[in-house]
Amino acid sequence: MGRRVVLIVLVTVLLLVVGGIYYACDPSSSSLLPRCTFLSLTGYKCPGCGSQRALHALLHGDLVGALGYNAMLVMAVPWVGYCLYAETKRASNPRLYVRLHNHIFITLFLAVVLLWWVLRNIFNW
Amino acid sequence: MQYWINHKGVQSGPVDLEGLKDMGLTSSAYVWHEGLTDWVKITQLPELQGYYEMEPVVVGTPVEPVVPAPAAEQPIETVAQTARQPEAYEPEQPATGYGMPAQPQYEAPVQAAVTEPCPPTNLVWAILTTLLCCLPAGIVAIIYATRVTSKYNAGDLEGAKRASETGAWWCIASIILGIICQPFMSLITMMAGSV
Repeated sequence: MGRRVVLIVLVTVLLLVVGGIYYACDPSSSSLLPRCTFLSLTGYKCPGCGSQRALHALLHGDLVGALGYNAMLVMAVPWVGYCLYAETKRASNPRLYVRLHNHIFITLFLAVVLLWWVLRNIFNW
Repeated sequence: MQYWINHKGVQSGPVDLEGLKDMGLTSSAYVWHEGLTDWVKITQLPELQGYYEMEPVVVGTPVEPVVPAPAAEQPIETVAQTARQPEAYEPEQPATGYGMPAQPQYEAPVQAAVTEPCPPTNLVWAILTTLLCCLPAGIVAIIYATRVTSKYNAGDLEGAKRASETGAWWCIASIILGIICQPFMSLITMMAGSV
């Protein structure tokens, strides 16, 4: 139980620090926050491009702006949260975990990410 | 801990360890408790040693217990239940030819594939690294996540474990590369901008 508490505290502190940085700094103007490596190297957007600006917008309550920067990230947030919840409840509720880690589900997600990657470079999303 | 029992076609439970003692269980009984993804043979739970009598091994297919619904959290995570029987003992082949060594016969970990839960798919990490680390390495991790589930569904537990590990390494690599590359890249862009 002790380890679990430590873990929860650590994760919370980390989230607060990271959240604080992304709340305070605007990634589109700040030179402190890095630009995407993949974009710099190839000139093409990666699936995660814009996620820093999207986070900044989300933390300021600007959902529409966040969707404009990286729609995939915004849509993934609730799902990741649900997956993490299922992960912590795996022992007592294996069903939920299995339902989320379904093979078809994951394959579908892979397809969506790849499609997102291609389409955002074509249409400049 | 509460246990559900399926013994000789009769299902009972929940009972605790004390209750198990009085049930006169034999090694053919199946057990389920919270956290297990499927029924397991009582002989596979080390904590239950001494709570059942050994039964002579019956040759033939054991009757799979009907999966009951002990609670809302009824386990459904099962590998395709290919009831793998221990290989029938083969008499040692007479040494043929020029003293060829008889093939060693390894006892395969029978049943292991049936009862173990699916190894971690690392899906959450794969998603996060894909969307946050700015390198497409996370996508490889997602591909490995699909391989974990497909291999597990096919009953290939070892393969699933390997895919799970490889996927985890890709996640870690993606995070490390992201952390190393990013400041480096911003330095380069900054210098390029100032020139």
